[in-house]
Amino acid sequence: MLKKHNILVVEDELELAKSTLAYLTENGFSPFHAKDLKSARKLLKQENFSAVLLDLGLPDGDGMALIKEIKNAKNEIGLIIVSAKDALDKKIEGLELGADDYLTKPYFFPELNARLKSVIRRLNLEVNQEIILNEITLLPEQMRTLIHGEELELTAKEFGLLLYFVSNQNRVISKTTLGEFMSSNYADYGFTDDMVYTHIKNLKKKLSGSGCDDYIKNVYGVGYKFTVA
Amino acid sequence: MKLLTKTSLNFISASVLFFLVGSMAMYFSVRNIMAEDLRNRLLQQQNEFIYTAQQNKVMDLVSELVFVQTTQNKQLYSFSDTVLITNEKYMLYRKLDFSYAQNEQDYKVSILLSQSESDKLIMKIAIMNIGFAMLFFLIMFFVNRHSIKSALGVFYSTIRKLEDFEVTQSSTLSLDTAEIEEVKKLNQVFEKMSAQIRKDFISQKEYTENVSHELQTPLAIISSKADELMQADNLSKEQMEQLALLLETTNRLSKINQALIFLTKIDNRFYTEGSTFSLNDLIKEKLSLFKDAIQDKNIKLKLDLLDITHVYMNPYLAETLIINLIKNAIFHNKSGGVLRITLSNNTLSIANSGGSLSFSEKDIFKRFTRSSENKKSLGIGLSIVQRICDLYSFNIAYSYADEHQFKINFKK
Repeated sequence: MLKKHNILVVEDELELAKSTLAYLTENGFSPFHAKDLKSARKLLKQENFSAVLLDLGLPDGDGMALIKEIKNAKNEIGLIIVSAKDALDKKIEGLELGADDYLTKPYFFPELNARLKSVIRRLNLEVNQEIILNEITLLPEQMRTLIHGEELELTAKEFGLLLYFVSNQNRVISKTTLGEFMSSNYADYGFTDDMVYTHIKNLKKKLSGSGCDDYIKNVYGVGYKFTVA
Repeated sequence: MKLLTKTSLNFISASVLFFLVGSMAMYFSVRNIMAEDLRNRLLQQQNEFIYTAQQNKVMDLVSELVFVQTTQNKQLYSFSDTVLITNEKYMLYRKLDFSYAQNEQDYKVSILLSQSESDKLIMKIAIMNIGFAMLFFLIMFFVNRHSIKSALGVFYSTIRKLEDFEVTQSSTLSLDTAEIEEVKKLNQVFEKMSAQIRKDFISQKEYTENVSHELQTPLAIISSKADELMQADNLSKEQMEQLALLLETTNRLSKINQALIFLTKIDNRFYTEGSTFSLNDLIKEKLSLFKDAIQDKNIKLKLDLLDITHVYMNPYLAETLIINLIKNAIFHNKSGGVLRITLSNNTLSIANSGGSLSFSEKDIFKRFTRSSENKKSLGIGLSIVQRICDLYSFNIAYSYADEHQFKINFKK
């Protein structure tokens, strides 16, 4: 078992923080909560974090101020901005200050999970790290898939989907969530539920064709669940 | 008409009228005076004639300008104008005819006096009059013009500054201080008004941002709670469907909110920075994002980028414009339909072979207009397109003849 990553959630909206913390705990993280800049700074001194989820609009100031402080103190801390403002200039400003990623509220938890894992992988130079799940081996940086040690050819979107499922095991992921993930990560604007269905169908076909177990289960036609016993 | 021209014109026309009437009156009065003078001189000469005739014979008194004839008429006495030709020159004379009796004989005596002297005088006076009047007008005209101009200088600078005033600029409107009470008051009103407009604009901008924040966060809570609930093991199919619907609707609501905020931002001229780029490249680049969607619907793409067209626009708005148009043409296309994109002569035409509209053609750019069977569509994309075109004064038109066609002319 890998060591649990400490995640700092800086969020002033208590209900949202509660859900996020519950979700992160469930997914093998060890989350901490700070409701403003002051308590965030205090926690950053006390604990050793792998990543910070930073809300920009905080009661005691703009979260932007914290980006530089965090990155100057320790560059390996993954920093994901979470903001209700889908403003392009804010996004660019945040990324220029050193943030690693930007999520616009409302976001879907599986999406947050996938991004968190990706940011932590990248920053901890786990470039060649393999993600191994039973017979499936994923090499995220090279976008390679091995099933039972055999190479499996997947399209970029299929690989993205598989990585997304592996990062969110045993969770019901609705079609809406998947559609949003696909359109935001692959800049594909014409994405419809039907297309999610087509991609998953193709992915499942390829996986079973290479002798992989059928992990991706349809849930009442409203979503999918990557089930691992 | 400029204020200065208007006042100058008024001044000139009043002056000309006054001058004409005045000159006429002056001319006639001078003429009258001269005629009176001539009369008096003629009467004096008559007296002199009569006095001299008492000692001399009448006929001896005939001279160059005194004519004597015998007459039967004793009551003769009249003034008249007459012309004499001397040295082949016509000369106008004033003539006094009167009768004079000597030695029982009646004579008609005519005494002539030249009018040319008085005519010359009248002419000279008239010329001087005109000259002085012209000079006077000229001086008055420039003095008047200059004084109005200097008095209204601040007024004109106010107009210039108001013309340049943009509510999106960070600087407030500051007008020059005026001497003239009315202009001072006007400037005060303008400064107060512009400050109010700016204040409203800023608070509207803040409001938009706040709405965004305040709505997105609760939506995030709803969708996260729905997602959490979906993870429960004992859910029935119906419950799961309801939760999925909840998630989908929340997502949709958030999208509508974002789109409306975007529309407001365009209206508030938030995207002011621009650059010049090739429309051809942009279309090709954005079209590549729809590769899967085009393939999925088996759409035949007919791309005719004939002329290289450069536009000056905000890049983000240009991107949104193209994406929304293409997305619309794919989304509403039928399976196996045609997507025709033509760019020539500064005009972009995007056409698709979707079914006929279920709403009125003129509503196509209106917010939330969408066909009843297309529940997934937000109905905002095309109104964003129109708003962007409006911002840059590009002409956009929609027509339907077998194909739905959107035409944008990028030439202003």
